[in-house]
Amino acid sequence: MAIQVPGKRYGERLAKSHFFSGHHSSARKSTNADLLITPLVDMFVIIVLFLIANFSATGEILNMTKDVQLPSASHVKELELAPVVMISSSDVIMNGVAVARVSDLSREDYLSIPALEERLREEKKQTEELHIAAADGQAFTGDVNIQGHKEIPFKVLKRVMFSCQNAGYSNINFAVLDSGNKPEGTKTAER
Amino acid sequence: MAGGMDLGTEVKGKKKALDATINLVPFIDLMAVTISFLIMTAVWTQIGRLQVSSAGGDSDPNQEKDDKLPQITLLLAQKEIKISVGSAQLGDAITNVRDDKGQLDLSKVQELLKKIREQIPDQTAITVQTEDDVRYEDLVRVIDEAIGDGLPAVSVSPVAT
Repeated sequence: MAIQVPGKRYGERLAKSHFFSGHHSSARKSTNADLLITPLVDMFVIIVLFLIANFSATGEILNMTKDVQLPSASHVKELELAPVVMISSSDVIMNGVAVARVSDLSREDYLSIPALEERLREEKKQTEELHIAAADGQAFTGDVNIQGHKEIPFKVLKRVMFSCQNAGYSNINFAVLDSGNKPEGTKTAER
Repeated sequence: MAGGMDLGTEVKGKKKALDATINLVPFIDLMAVTISFLIMTAVWTQIGRLQVSSAGGDSDPNQEKDDKLPQITLLLAQKEIKISVGSAQLGDAITNVRDDKGQLDLSKVQELLKKIREQIPDQTAITVQTEDDVRYEDLVRVIDEAIGDGLPAVSVSPVAT
């Protein structure tokens, strides 16, 4: 008996078969396939360019929560780093600490919010001390960001604004969502 | 030799292939790391600010006040808007109309403000007097409209009682 190459051997009945006789296997393609990575590299480049175009160097200044839905506006300036007073539908929050309840503020007729003023004054003092220690020659600008829920009444907002002004923060900025759809013919002033 | 440049380093009887394969693996690694970093640090919500000042307080230091120009005042109430220049009210009160989303329709306010700007082009300040029950969203819409119509120095004050 002749020595045969090891491997599958089918019966005599299938010896003449084109598929099982081994003729087919000789024409079999290599199982190693080259991956085409050019589209992958193209896609990576496009994603990187898109992400770099949308990159914000200032980072997230505001802490977004589900309780505060910001109103939207189109003629906005870029948000700057400043103390944030958050007005949700239930509380007035400064640096993560609730300083007043909206329900109380709506009921009372006073303008000032003492707890908020106190915190803002502390913040102002710290900022001024930092500038003096750093000797950078920068003066206190009095900027404050108000992150208010869009449904709050002006009665609450005016009390927060009054307290900010009393504490020395006279440059008040309303944080809004940038809708970006500027109507034609209108110019954004001092963008 | 296809695509390759002949450097003249031909060995007798045998040509050396000049086409070099660039190893793309480090490049893909770098891309993957960059994409991960950019996605993690991305800020998806575009937030801006509208600068206002409280009436009676310090306004924008870059803005020079000119007391000779008539003061533009917009009275924002829950149901209507009134615009006045100096002490004279301009036109009738504008009844607040809202769209399907509950947003104020400010087309009439825009017309009036543009008319005022044509008459007093040097005036860039406006005072928005607001009633207590007005929603913050409506106030922001009015301020946005005023800035868009060329009045960037916006002061907000409560209605004098």
